[in-house]
Amino acid sequence: MVRAKFPQAVIETVQFRGEQTIVLLPEHLVAVCTHLKKQLEYTFLSSVTAVDWLERVPRYDVVYHLLSIPRLSELRLKVRVGNRGEEHPSVPTVSGVWPGANWYEREVYDLFGITFAGHPDLRRILMPIDWTTHPLRKDYPLTGFDLPEPHWGGQVPYDIDPGVGSQTLRTPGGRELNESRSKISQTQEPGTLSC
Amino acid sequence: MRAAVKSARPRNQEHCHAERSEASRCLVSQTLRFAQGDKRIQGDKQIRNDMKQQEIETQYTIENSQPIEDGQRIDTMTINMGPQHPSTHGVLRLILTIDGETVVKAVPDIGFLHTGIEKTAEAKTYHQALVLTDRTEYLSPLCNNLAYSLSVERLLGVEDEINDKIRFARVLLVELQRIASHLVFLASSALDLGAQSIFLYCFREREMILDVFELVSGVRMMTSYICPGGLQAELPPGFDAKVREFTRIFPERLQEYHDILTNNQLWIERTKGIATLSAQDAIAYGASGPVLRGSGVVWDIRKAFPYSGYEHFDFAIPVGSNGDVYDRYLVRMLEMEQSLNIVNQALEGMPTGNYRINNPKIVPPPKWQLTGSMESLIHHFKLYTEGYHPPRGEAFVRTEASKGELGYYIVSDGSNKPYRMHIRGASFANLEVLPLMIEGGFLADVVAAIGSIDIVLGEVDR
Repeated sequence: MVRAKFPQAVIETVQFRGEQTIVLLPEHLVAVCTHLKKQLEYTFLSSVTAVDWLERVPRYDVVYHLLSIPRLSELRLKVRVGNRGEEHPSVPTVSGVWPGANWYEREVYDLFGITFAGHPDLRRILMPIDWTTHPLRKDYPLTGFDLPEPHWGGQVPYDIDPGVGSQTLRTPGGRELNESRSKISQTQEPGTLSC
Repeated sequence: MRAAVKSARPRNQEHCHAERSEASRCLVSQTLRFAQGDKRIQGDKQIRNDMKQQEIETQYTIENSQPIEDGQRIDTMTINMGPQHPSTHGVLRLILTIDGETVVKAVPDIGFLHTGIEKTAEAKTYHQALVLTDRTEYLSPLCNNLAYSLSVERLLGVEDEINDKIRFARVLLVELQRIASHLVFLASSALDLGAQSIFLYCFREREMILDVFELVSGVRMMTSYICPGGLQAELPPGFDAKVREFTRIFPERLQEYHDILTNNQLWIERTKGIATLSAQDAIAYGASGPVLRGSGVVWDIRKAFPYSGYEHFDFAIPVGSNGDVYDRYLVRMLEMEQSLNIVNQALEGMPTGNYRINNPKIVPPPKWQLTGSMESLIHHFKLYTEGYHPPRGEAFVRTEASKGELGYYIVSDGSNKPYRMHIRGASFANLEVLPLMIEGGFLADVVAAIGSIDIVLGEVDR
């Protein structure tokens, strides 16, 4: 139905285990969402989140879960953003369509570093306000990272080598990358990045 | 000698200080009375001088604040409520701008309990990540176990293998959990508004439910009992009797709570018409659960998208009409009745069957097979070291947890660990509507509003 109305906006539709997903082009997102809310009564936005596919281009999926209370139907929208080397990819905000998207988009911005164009109040929400990195990205390891965060005063919050624990990075080069990161060299000032 | 002098000096100072502060307190109280129009002290010259002094001071502060158009001046003040405040139910910080007793603006500040559960889950196998789900919404861990298990089962494609015994047992436990969670709501929100005895009553009944959980899983709170593929263990002997004891006692206890609060004039005055939320706002902001139903929206995922066999149960959806604190309270009270009803139906209709599916790739083989069958031993070993590999894909199953809509969005890349696990918790969205409820109301009602949306910060911050 959406494909008939917006043929240029839909990249593909996927059906998996009975769940319907529509993949959209980011520039048409707001128009499609407005249509879905007004015409198809998807008035309830359950959540906005993102998935980081580190080696794919575009890198991120931004995922919207919609619910239609009068029509008893569920729908998932997806937008793919993030070209290679793009530090903060941008998606148009849907907080004008569903006001509840405000906090969810702040969360995605906080944890993935995806910005939302036109968002009224794009601040960090879960991490400290002076945090500089985005923890749910796949190249942000779980352990073994000498956090050069201003929040810790530029210091490592422990005085022993934390070692390398299990990582969320699942690429062949991931382990080496994390190990090289966790090495604290003798000459390096605490809290500075090694080059 | 010297020491004595030394010690005497501060005491003297303290004494003077105390005297001065007492005098000033007297003055303040007198001027307050004066301001209220007490004729008796109007002739007192000293006090009049003080009044003048106070007027000058007030004028000075008013000149520093912003004037508004019609000649009146508003003197607002910004205060912090939390993150360590007994009525914020955890570590919620509210930045309140108040004008006298009225809240002009409220900005919730969250993230103090952010533990990175979603990130941690990416490094755990599906079996291990189950344990993390307890820790998100720690007042209803079984609801989280269920939501997670349903998503993983859909991802694995084994939804049809779940038998009725498992479904009924899951429903029974989750409904008990809903009662336990609502009891904590009732206890803490009533305590916030000054009703102290009901706090202890509610925790007494909640303890009975936690005893049931301890019986089945060995743990009172962090149960991890519902797992992908069924239950962790068979329902133990004595389970039935223990639940029946609770269902026998609970109706009259529930009546007791109604007697204490529902028609209590003090309770009604503190809750009726307070912190109202319209149905449109509730839907637009994604509020769910009793907050949504309290605003008059007939919406329950157990009815709309029945999961885990809820279509076999007969129950009603309590709905409020005004969307105020009282309605949200009453919705939860009536939901406890309905949950009890479902528990009874599940107990009566509990079919026999295996407590987990018969699929050695997902659930471990029975213990007795390990000593006899090499294949079972290998399955057991592989399952606990490596885990299972769901196919590439994603699943999101909505459930109606005690706080509202709860769903686990799990993305699989075909490995043995979730590639991404996002938790759609009800408290996050329910907290987002808090400013709508409290702005324009009184400062004292903020406490009532926070209590009535029943947030758990573990779920908000994850």
